Amino acid sequence: MTNTSTASTPVIEQDARTKQRPMSKRRLVLRRFIRNVPADIGVVIFTLLVLLAVFGPYISPWEYDELDFMSLTEPPSAEHWLGTDVAGADMFALAVRGLGKSLMIGVIASLGTSVIAAIVGTSIAYFRGWVERVGMWLIDMLLAIPSFLLLAMIVSAFGSGANGWLALTFALMIFGWFGYARVLRSMTLSLREREYVQAAKYMGVPSAKVITRHLIPNLGSILIIQFVLGVVVSVLAETGLSFLGFGIQPPDTSLGVLIQEGSGTLLTAPWMLLVPMALLVALTFSMTLIGDGLRDALDPTSQSGGKA
Amino acid sequence: MLKFSLFRTINYALMLFIATSLAYFMASAFLNPRSNYVNQNPTPPPEAIDAALSAANMNDKTPLLERYWTWLQNVVLSWNWGLSPEGASINGEMARRMLVSTQLVFLATFLSIIIGVGLGIWAAIHHYKLRDRIINVFSVASMVMPVFVLALLIVLVAVSFNDTIGITAFYVTGLSESGVNGFFPSLLDWLRHITLPTIAMTGAGWYFYHQTQRTYLLDTMNADYVRTARAKGLEKSKAIRRHALRPSLIPTATGVAFSITTIFTGAVFIEQIFAIPGLGQYFIQTINQNNVNGAVAVAAFGGACTLAGALLADIVIAWLDPRIRIN
Repeated sequence: MTNTSTASTPVIEQDARTKQRPMSKRRLVLRRFIRNVPADIGVVIFTLLVLLAVFGPYISPWEYDELDFMSLTEPPSAEHWLGTDVAGADMFALAVRGLGKSLMIGVIASLGTSVIAAIVGTSIAYFRGWVERVGMWLIDMLLAIPSFLLLAMIVSAFGSGANGWLALTFALMIFGWFGYARVLRSMTLSLREREYVQAAKYMGVPSAKVITRHLIPNLGSILIIQFVLGVVVSVLAETGLSFLGFGIQPPDTSLGVLIQEGSGTLLTAPWMLLVPMALLVALTFSMTLIGDGLRDALDPTSQSGGKA
Repeated sequence: MLKFSLFRTINYALMLFIATSLAYFMASAFLNPRSNYVNQNPTPPPEAIDAALSAANMNDKTPLLERYWTWLQNVVLSWNWGLSPEGASINGEMARRMLVSTQLVFLATFLSIIIGVGLGIWAAIHHYKLRDRIINVFSVASMVMPVFVLALLIVLVAVSFNDTIGITAFYVTGLSESGVNGFFPSLLDWLRHITLPTIAMTGAGWYFYHQTQRTYLLDTMNADYVRTARAKGLEKSKAIRRHALRPSLIPTATGVAFSITTIFTGAVFIEQIFAIPGLGQYFIQTINQNNVNGAVAVAAFGGACTLAGALLADIVIAWLDPRIRIN
């Protein structure tokens, strides 16, 4: 008896809701996103890449650190699907491993920078006065030094070893939020004048609660877009550092490490370079398409996707 | 206007000072020049290591603040950026390489702005038409393509191009060949070297200006005052030129300062790939050799470039928007 009632009620409610109310915002956004063809392509490519990174190691006949001394620097063949590198490691296994590592670092680092940027950006706008002035000045100062150079210094000190990738991810978080915080602060400028924010403030709601309950959720759509596009930025920073030899250290691998190794045999063994390059560009390209699709779907004034 | 510029200059100088100090503390904390000597075989006696490190003001047995104070005095009082752990002068190395990197960064920034802003305006006028969509595809492609991937692809294409025509039309390493004399041969030689790195850096940098310029021009094109101007009978191109373009240039000008950082970072990769003896290549060497003073000098130069760009942007914005001058 209880089983049937709990199972049937949600269905009725769902039906009633769609009949009575206009489309919910979430469904509207979803529909606008799905209708955007480039965004769909982005989702498909990204899903394929994630599946490749997760299940690739299981379907590959070789391990990424397994060396086949009988085939050094061989072009793609039935035995080695994407060829081998100069040491005889299988390119498919390496590429899958590298993709997984780059993806993981990118997603975690972008999540971290989004959280830090949201808290700092909204806080300095909410507290106004000297907090805002000093905060903005500090952010501008931090933006002035090429943070990539500072990142390279830190990572060169901590990057090696088994947990090197964690240090790298952490460093990317610490140095990635300045620009986003600046943007979020300017978004908060109009938000902080809203009646409900003022009301909460004068009713004595603690500042931290106003920020986490009223300011940050209202920036949700921007934060989502920034998170997605932040993955691109983090992946590019990680591969860049690894390419220069400061990031992930062999025997562990990432797309940047593979591109760096491949650039040495650019003319004699181009597959070593083109495979990781194609994966990297596919990754950043798909995330950019998803980010742009989200922006168009979440922005009520956008006309690029036609009318909803 | 003069007072405004002066105020901004002082502000940026202070910013640069703190940022460079921060870079100094970070470099001292994370780079370890002592390891250069400890890893040598045979290991030099500890006294000799200490003496060499103290001579370069990098001895970790000296308190950090004392080292900082010595470094600061040298920089401020005699513009001496210190010595490498091996005792080579940073100033000499910087002076030689600065010229090389400045060429690259300046050319790439200039071309990026011209191409990006131009295409951005063109795309905004024809927005959502095929032309706009095609430019947008290229813009996104250049955004998602890391500068080192683009550079390596250009090297690949250039080498096969040289092979096809049978002569080395474009060089992929260095910035000049030895034994080239005379003005025009030198100029030609310079062009043959700098073309590919500049294409790579411009290709990775223009999208930013295209995207901001397109977005903001679209915003102002739909503004009320532009519609009013159109309603009064002003033709479209004139309305855009007279009323919409000027305010839309302001956000782009702000962006120039911050994109210089990106271009400077791009130079690190470009110089590494094309074997150009500039500051970017020097920076990688300084980190690998734990050269604290050298790394700080490069970071300071990068910061100075950015803030010079920011100052220029401020002046351009004040010129574009008279309201800012009054504040």
